[in-house]
Amino acid sequence: MADKVYDLIQLDELSGGDQDFINMMVATFLEHTPGQLEELLKAQASNDMVTFGAISHKIKPNIDMFGIKKIIKDIRDLEQLGKAGQNNSELQTKLANVEAELNIAFEQLRQR
Amino acid sequence: MGNTIRRPMSLMKIFLVEDNELYAKATKHHLSLNPDNQVEHFVSGKSCLEKLYLQPDCILLDYSLPDLSGIDVLKKVKSSQPDLPVIIVSGQEDVATAIDLLKEGAYDYIVKDENSKERIWKAINNLRENAKLRNELDRLREEVNSKYDFSSIKGSSLPLKKVFKLIEKAIRTNITVSISGETGTGKELVAKAIHYNSKYKKAPLVTVNIAAIPKELLESELFGFEKGAFTGAISKRIGKFEEANGGTLFLDEIGEMELSLQAKLLRIIQERVVTRIGSNKEIKVETRIIVATHRNLKEEVAKGNFREDLYYRLLGLPVELPPLRKREAEIILLAKFFLKRFVEENQIEELRISDQAQTKLRTYSWPGNVRELKAVIELAAVLAEDGVIEEKDLNFNTVGDELDNLVSEGLTMKDYNRKLINYYLKNHNNNVVEVAKLLDIGKSTLYRMLKNKELTVN
Repeated sequence: MADKVYDLIQLDELSGGDQDFINMMVATFLEHTPGQLEELLKAQASNDMVTFGAISHKIKPNIDMFGIKKIIKDIRDLEQLGKAGQNNSELQTKLANVEAELNIAFEQLRQR
Repeated sequence: MGNTIRRPMSLMKIFLVEDNELYAKATKHHLSLNPDNQVEHFVSGKSCLEKLYLQPDCILLDYSLPDLSGIDVLKKVKSSQPDLPVIIVSGQEDVATAIDLLKEGAYDYIVKDENSKERIWKAINNLRENAKLRNELDRLREEVNSKYDFSSIKGSSLPLKKVFKLIEKAIRTNITVSISGETGTGKELVAKAIHYNSKYKKAPLVTVNIAAIPKELLESELFGFEKGAFTGAISKRIGKFEEANGGTLFLDEIGEMELSLQAKLLRIIQERVVTRIGSNKEIKVETRIIVATHRNLKEEVAKGNFREDLYYRLLGLPVELPPLRKREAEIILLAKFFLKRFVEENQIEELRISDQAQTKLRTYSWPGNVRELKAVIELAAVLAEDGVIEEKDLNFNTVGDELDNLVSEGLTMKDYNRKLINYYLKNHNNNVVEVAKLLDIGKSTLYRMLKNKELTVN
């Protein structure tokens, strides 16, 4: 298995190592974030940048909380680009990064 | 806080308004590490607003909600519960938004980052401490209010009822009250009863005894001063009028005020503004004024010692407290009231006053009025045995009738001494050691006088 793209240290610290709590948070992440990613992709495809910015804003703390470090900056850039209505190549590249990294994280978290 | 339901001081009911499920769960979990935090989660602004009647102690509000913006929710909360603290939690650091929110009354603005949970924790703890202090303040206020609840004096006599009626009238309005009466008649007590039962009770009652302040300091004491206004004014100081703003200013012994200052006082009462010494700025003051004096102010006006215009301004609602000797019917009533309060405050066994002791109380002239009666009763409560205050427990140690009588009898110094010692022995249960100590004479002198039958011991 490849190196983990996520880091649960924040949740570990928050819960004092409570595995039940961490499992519950992972389940919640897997329940909500794939749907949010799908909505994000749809918003970009339909050029609805207001929704795009809003969903990026909502996904941002989830990425922080699960320590998916590689896309912490990308999701912030996406939020700003979305709010500025700039559906350009820069946005598309960063969105592709976020999509790929999140999909890896989903898979790794399901198998942990 | 505007809440009417009082929870245990440490318990905090927190409304968490957050549509991000993950962030909400993490925050709720973290806050619940303290069992005194009760967190209720709402996913929208509307659902939170609908439950405001549950009276939370604070709201943790996400700025970006699906239905309403954070500022809209904040405004709605503040319009219905202005004192309810709202902590805004935002995914974005935006100084301008933060300033707007704080201007609208937000308690804090916290950005969702790796430090947010600590900041939320600290903010909640600060609120808990503030709530504790507020509760303590409310408790003390209630304690003070109940202390001056004059309705607890039951079955009052006619003169006292008349005074209570006037106090009630004073409570309902903002009229200036002038209290007159001999020393010890309870002028300050009346002022306190009016203040702590009136709409001014949440602001301070500030008492100034005009007679106790050197004339040259009185003006600065009353009106305050600016830094450098005079030699020694090293920093700005507010005066008693400003200190009592929103509350009551009790000017005791008003008859002792100098004419020059009376003119300034008149202006303040007429215009409701004060000007600190060394400043031109007028400061508006909303202060209820109560004045008291043992002098007959009308006579002072006639003598030219008191301004007539100020006299009429201050007269307001006159409350006259007659001396205790003219209110014989009240002596026992008040004695029982003071006794009950003393017993409660000191958690000692209940006491009653014997018939003989009541007669002794009624026949005394009470030169020190109610103040003296209170002191006599409190001492008697300490000295009393077997649940009854007897004659011997009542010590009129203020130079009273018995000693006055000595003077009129034309006795020798030796006789005076003998009578004085006899008086003390009688009132101190023939306790030679105690009387020797009280009169600062040797025990052996007393024993010698007893042996020589110069003293009478029953």
